[in-house]
Amino acid sequence: MKYKISSISLLVLMSLSNLSAKTDDLLSSLSSDMEHFSEVATITKQNEHYQPYIISVFQGKELEKLGVSNLKEALGLVPGVDMATDNANTQTPIFRGSNPLAYGQSKLFIDGILVNNVFFDAYSEYLSLPIEMIKRVEVVRGPGSKVDGVNAYAGSVNVITYAENFKGFESSDKLVFKYGSYDYRMGGFIKTYKTDDFKIFIDFYYQEDDKKLPAGPDGLSQGVFGTSNIALSKSGDAPLWLEEYSLGLNLTYKDFSLKARMLEHTKGSAYGINLALPQESDRVKLPSQYLELGYNKKINNYNIDIKAGVKYDTFDSKSKLTPDDLNLSGIIFQDGIYGEHFAKQRTLYQSTYIKYSGIDQHVITTGYRFIKEETIDMSSKLSNRSTGDVALVDYTDTLPFFDKDAKRNTFIFSLQDEYQFNDKISFIYGFNYEQTSHKDAGIEPRVSMVYQLDTNNIFKAIYSQSRRNASWQEMFTMNNTARIGNENLEPERVNAFEAAYVKKLSRDTHLQTNIFYLLNKNQIYNSSADPEYRNVVDTDIYGFEIEYKGHISFVDQLYLNYSYTSGKSNINDENKKESLPNIANHLIKGYYIYNLSSVLSLSGIAKYVGSKDRVSGDAREKVKAYSTLDSTLQYKNKKCNYNLTLSIKNIFNTKVTFPSPPNTYSQDYEQERRNFLIAFTKEF
Amino acid sequence: MKKITLLLLALITILQAYSYDDVLLKAQASIFPKIMLLDKKIEEKLIDGEIIYTIVYDQQDHDTAKEIKKFIDENNNGFFDKYAYKINLVKSSELSSLTQTSAIYALITSQNSKKIANIAKEKGIISFSYDINDLKNGFLFSLMLEKSAVLYLNKANLYTNKVDFVVSLLQMVKFVD
Repeated sequence: MKYKISSISLLVLMSLSNLSAKTDDLLSSLSSDMEHFSEVATITKQNEHYQPYIISVFQGKELEKLGVSNLKEALGLVPGVDMATDNANTQTPIFRGSNPLAYGQSKLFIDGILVNNVFFDAYSEYLSLPIEMIKRVEVVRGPGSKVDGVNAYAGSVNVITYAENFKGFESSDKLVFKYGSYDYRMGGFIKTYKTDDFKIFIDFYYQEDDKKLPAGPDGLSQGVFGTSNIALSKSGDAPLWLEEYSLGLNLTYKDFSLKARMLEHTKGSAYGINLALPQESDRVKLPSQYLELGYNKKINNYNIDIKAGVKYDTFDSKSKLTPDDLNLSGIIFQDGIYGEHFAKQRTLYQSTYIKYSGIDQHVITTGYRFIKEETIDMSSKLSNRSTGDVALVDYTDTLPFFDKDAKRNTFIFSLQDEYQFNDKISFIYGFNYEQTSHKDAGIEPRVSMVYQLDTNNIFKAIYSQSRRNASWQEMFTMNNTARIGNENLEPERVNAFEAAYVKKLSRDTHLQTNIFYLLNKNQIYNSSADPEYRNVVDTDIYGFEIEYKGHISFVDQLYLNYSYTSGKSNINDENKKESLPNIANHLIKGYYIYNLSSVLSLSGIAKYVGSKDRVSGDAREKVKAYSTLDSTLQYKNKKCNYNLTLSIKNIFNTKVTFPSPPNTYSQDYEQERRNFLIAFTKEF
Repeated sequence: MKKITLLLLALITILQAYSYDDVLLKAQASIFPKIMLLDKKIEEKLIDGEIIYTIVYDQQDHDTAKEIKKFIDENNNGFFDKYAYKINLVKSSELSSLTQTSAIYALITSQNSKKIANIAKEKGIISFSYDINDLKNGFLFSLMLEKSAVLYLNKANLYTNKVDFVVSLLQMVKFVD
């Protein structure tokens, strides 16, 4: 009997312990799921409202539905972001009116890799990236995070391709063809192959067009080559054609990764690098290649992230720089001046970051990034400057357009603590210490707070300091009448104060408002009157942005934003103040998608860009405000899994212009009128 | 400009309808069945020895409901832990106290949220909602992807004789009054 009772007790105990083990397993599985989905939500920015940034996120599929063709058009939807261009058609997004004459105030990352070129610090060669290659665009306004060793300054654009892959969120393979106005043709594909430990992702596309847009009178009319040559000024079609292909590769094996891309980007010489309207065949190549190796490992409370990479970018121009019969100091160039300018840069970098989560309520991240940038090849050829003979002479050593020994080393140390004070309040505070071989920047802090009053009301406050180091063009350009580099330039600096309120009106409807005040020092400018780049302007910029995303009915989507930007420029060497030039005070953007059925949708994108003041001393009228409307019809075939999209852009044929600087082209740079695009995508 | 501003303001006041967040849907599809298993009285809710997990939806969300079913099936191979399960898709207008079910997961149901919560309460089964705002209507659990994933539990609906969760689960959730 005693034995029987003991046996029963043992069985009960075993059963209880088995139950307890099962419960523990379930709880552990539940916790692991919660952690996995938290990570996915953070990485994919599904929980953007709770992040300590002012951020807007656009999904690639939604942008495709809207007929958005490429990254540039996608950025056109972002609150507070306007587009600018220059005589080489180096288009660049301007965030909140911050120095529209500089390029590197915002940074572009593709799958986490910084791709701004060293020459201009711009990324115009990536703005034509087809939207079908993009899974998601995340745009942070303001200086952003401090943990990647990159100073974003006015904003950062994170392009996530379909290489991103989480368990349960795999992307399909895809084939794309597009055809549109200006004889635009595009073809491309994405392909993923995956086993348990190994994944390979490839994207490829080719695209070309023969775009030409009316331009002129060119810079000669304003005397860029002296009054004796004004009569040679021309108007006509500026060659803005494009020919490019790109191959991207992402490999992962266990904790190791490899990311690489080769972009061959060739475009027409636009408005001429010397402001004379070029020939149709004249071109600028801006190839960009990168390769990054990474190792990411989680060990207990530590996460180690090690990266090393190399990036090449090149400025390669071949064009006729002036018209026939140009007279330069008495030498007549009967057949004009031809030029070939080539500068290739290499960037090597290595970073190591460690994240430690072993202290309750804290996540501490620290690490460094070392960057070595240098020009590795340069050549400068021109028609004979002494005789006026058109044949090219190699001036690489005697009259270079660029310093062939240009180089800069940068070391950045970062420390950040993410502190969850309680359920409602979290802080992130930290700093970067940055030292370059040219300038010592010292410490730049960032402090942010997110206060979640309840599930529907979130408040954010952010203070950050950041800097933009001068670009190669601003530092090392030589023997050029329009631009003179200056190696002694201080970095541009910004102190940014931002506050935001997010109201979640329902599970998928929100209203986000934010105010900002940006104190910019040492802004780098030059002008035709004084072509040397100098730190001559301080700007105080303030404004607000409102963003709404939601619905009117069950079958539609509505997105609207409005941004107001204003401020003052203090021109230090002239001791005068003026309103911010080349900035639209008002920007209104939005889209509406109406799903006519489960396979057919009709959508529209509307945009209003306010008028822009000219720079001091420019007597031309303000740059006119404009409104545009695009419309798109998309058919989705569920059975065969393809989409057919037809878009008409700028339906009302509005004249859209980007400002030209004074004493260059007398008229502003005109953009595309009404045009169309047809896209076919098939998923596998 | 003024017209556009007025139009913008007018449109903002015309609100509310839904599109689903794919990450949230999948998170809920993974996590909610596990919560169900942490009820010590799960055996009392079996129907013919099986768990019947009912996804309730409005007509326009039929595809979404099917996607969730597919996701759950792909990840569970017909069993929640040791229990065989079946997923039923039921339109919100057709759900009644006669519907045989072990637990209910509701998508956005414009008119019928309270009715669904009441049926779950009456049956003494666990109810999960996609939308946290439905906890106010009587649902028991919801999940939000905030800074991290947060499980919300409606305190008012917790204490019944028919549901008895393991204590460790209650330490993981955020209570809503």
